[in-house]
This record gives sequence, structure tokens and C-alpha cells, in this order.
Amino acid sequence: MDERRLRFEAQALPHLDAALNLARWLTRSRADADDIVQDAMLRAYRAFDSVRGNEVKPWLLAIVRNCCFTWAKGARRRGHVALGEEVANDDAAFRSAEPDPEAAAIGADEGGKLVRLVEALPEEFRMALILREWEDMSYRQIAEVTGVPIGTVMSRLARARALLKTAWIDRVEGGTRHGVR
Amino acid sequence: MACDKALSVQALFDGELDATASAEIERHMVACAECDALFKDLASTRAALREHAPYYRADAALRSSVARALAKETGSRDALGAFFARTRQFWSGAISGAAGAGLAAAFVMFTVMAPVDDRLVADLTGAHLRSLMADHLIDVASSDHHTVKPWFAGHADVSPPVADFAAEGYALIGGRADYIDGRRAAVIVYRHGKHVINVFAWAGREALANETERNGYHIVAWHMDDLAFAAVSDTAVPEIEGLKRLIVGETQSGNKPPTP
Ligand SMILES: [Zn+2]
Repeated sequence: MDERRLRFEAQALPHLDAALNLARWLTRSRADADDIVQDAMLRAYRAFDSVRGNEVKPWLLAIVRNCCFTWAKGARRRGHVALGEEVANDDAAFRSAEPDPEAAAIGADEGGKLVRLVEALPEEFRMALILREWEDMSYRQIAEVTGVPIGTVMSRLARARALLKTAWIDRVEGGTRHGVR
Repeated sequence: MACDKALSVQALFDGELDATASAEIERHMVACAECDALFKDLASTRAALREHAPYYRADAALRSSVARALAKETGSRDALGAFFARTRQFWSGAISGAAGAGLAAAFVMFTVMAPVDDRLVADLTGAHLRSLMADHLIDVASSDHHTVKPWFAGHADVSPPVADFAAEGYALIGGRADYIDGRRAAVIVYRHGKHVINVFAWAGREALANETERNGYHIVAWHMDDLAFAAVSDTAVPEIEGLKRLIVGETQSGNKPPTP
């Protein structure tokens, strides 16, 4: 058996779920996430000799992130909504993507609402949040995946959480539903 | 508007501060209502995400297409056949036919050469991973320990103590029979936040290190009576230790006479 593939199966394949979860949240599309992850795994496999064992996960997710960006550029050219477009104007984009107040008032599925809010977060904020809350990654690891300083990771996380808190928790607590606390 | 300690509060919440810095920001939070509220908001947000936002997982179709792409990249037809045979076993736990026999031979060679610890660790992480990949996490789905424990009696060589710790954040979701080091093991499956923790129990006195890390998975091992235990998860060691303490505590209290 090929040495590199054994190592890849043991060290990279265990992170396939993490790769898919990140791509799915970034693209908001299962089909696109599947395509991206398959492409990313193949790229990772080709470049696998260059990575040390304990750094495989951040390295792999960085590749997934890059593939998502490439996908977004292609989608923009094809005239679809791209994942990076809200970054420049985050708050406005976030608000515009919220469910309308009437739907919220009739209490549309609570979980679905939160998912849509996360999906509406500016993409860099969303990525930091996914890596922290879903993958339990440290600030240093998130910085590695996203290629920014740790201070930037911290402020993105803070912004993502503040946006979610304002849009979701405050509304739930202010409304007729019993609180989440 | 925001207190300039806000990012430190978040760092405390995320477990990024050392003891000195933690103590300092905790003192600040006593005096600063804004930071105190922020910490609670962070906890509420995390709880809401854990409750409502899914962890999307790769399905069988994606796993197959990734496997095919890797095999194609590696090239050789022989390798392709072996790869499918092995990945099939990897996913379903079923070994059949000539490919299975070849695999078994290769496996024996590997186990003979590997030291005990290493082989056990590989078995445990392999079984953990297989359980997540194959939709074969549980054989008996239940949060009721009264149904899980008897199930083990008929399906595994051992019948370890089973308890639900949902109130402490470790929800019992079921049980499974698996193989560790060639022996039938009972696996008690817990969900902790977004993470699955597989607790393996088998008859043995192997000297596993208390804590082991392999490929991003953590293993916490211990012994109780004549059983060896190993809790495996991708969550952090202190979280796994928490479950271990509950299980050990439950067993000790379970040895006392029942209280009415
Ligand atoms: Zn403050």
C-alpha cells in the first residue's frame, strides 16, 4: 500500500466531516460543498508531503477555505450570489438577510431561523465562528486557517457573536417565547 | 459603548487565558456589569448554536467519491482494488471474500510488529472513526440505561455500568458492540455538545497511557474492576475527563446498597 495514502487516510480523512461542515456553512449549499470538498481533498492529497502530522487539520481547512473562495469567484462570474460579497458592508447585509418580522412573530422554526442568521453573517466572521464553536479550534489555529493575525480572529469572533446575540437572543427574550438562558 | 476588556472576557470564555490573566478578568467582571453581561451572552449564544445549528457531515456518496478520486490519483489498478476493499471494511466493518483475507493477513503483520499500546490506540481511534463514518454509531439507540445494559449482555463479552448523565451535559444516546484488539468490546455512546464520545469497555488489564492523542482524537483510559475503559472523542481532554469522573463516580455509588 502506498505510504503517502496510508498517512493521508490516517491523518487527513478523519477531518472530512470538518471540511464538509466548513464548506457547507460557507457556501450554504450541500451540492457545492460536496464538490468543493472533493476538490480540496484531492489538492490536499497532492500536497500532503509538505505537512506535519499535528498541523493537518488547520492546513486541510485552509485548503477548503481557499477552494470556497475560488468557488465564490466562479459563482459571481456566473451571476450567482457569492459568499464574500457581504464583507464590505456587513451589518446591512446581515440585517437584510434576517427573516421578516412577521415570520418571526408567528414563530417560524426557531432552529431554522438561527441557521439562516449564521448563514447571513459576513463570510469571514462566519468562518471564525464555525472554527471556534463547531471545531473547538484555538485562536492560533483559526489564525492559521484564515491567514490573519490572532487579534483579527478575536475581533471577528466578537463581531460574529455580537451580531447573533442582537439578532437572535435579544429577540427571543424580548418576545413571547420563553428565554434561552 | 463596549468596555475595553471585552476581548479579554471573550478570551476567558474561549479558554485562551492563563490562570493569572483569568483571575484578573474575573475580578474585573465582578465590578463591571457590562463585561458580566457579555460573558452570559457568550454562553447563551454558544448554547443556542449547540441546540439549533447542525454539524453537517460528509455522507456515503461524498466518502466514495473522495475515495475514488484518491485511488485514481494513486494510479495502480491493484491499489484501487485494495483501497476499495479496505475502505469498505473501514466503513461497514464487514470483511468478506479474498480481499478480506488479504486484508486480515496484512492486519496481522501490522499488529505483530506494532507495540501493544500503539495497536490499541490505533484500534480505538479506528473504531471511533468508523462509528462516525458508517452511520454505525449505535446498535441500540436509547437514552435509557435500563435497555442499554441488558443489550450488552447478549452482544458483547462484557456488560459495563451504563448511566445517563444528560443533566451534566453528557447525554447517553445508545450502545454498540465493537472489536478492540480482537475482543468484543461494549461501547457506550454519549453526546456532549457537538461531539460524540465513545466509551469502550473490554475485559483486559492493558496498560494504556492515561491520556493519548492520535490524529486529533483524544483517548482517556482507565481501569475499573476487571474492565479496561477508554473514552475516545475529538473534544478536549478535560471534557472527556469530566465524563470519566461521572462514570467512575456512578460505579462507586452503584456498589453501595440501593437507597429507597
Ligand atoms: Zn468591563
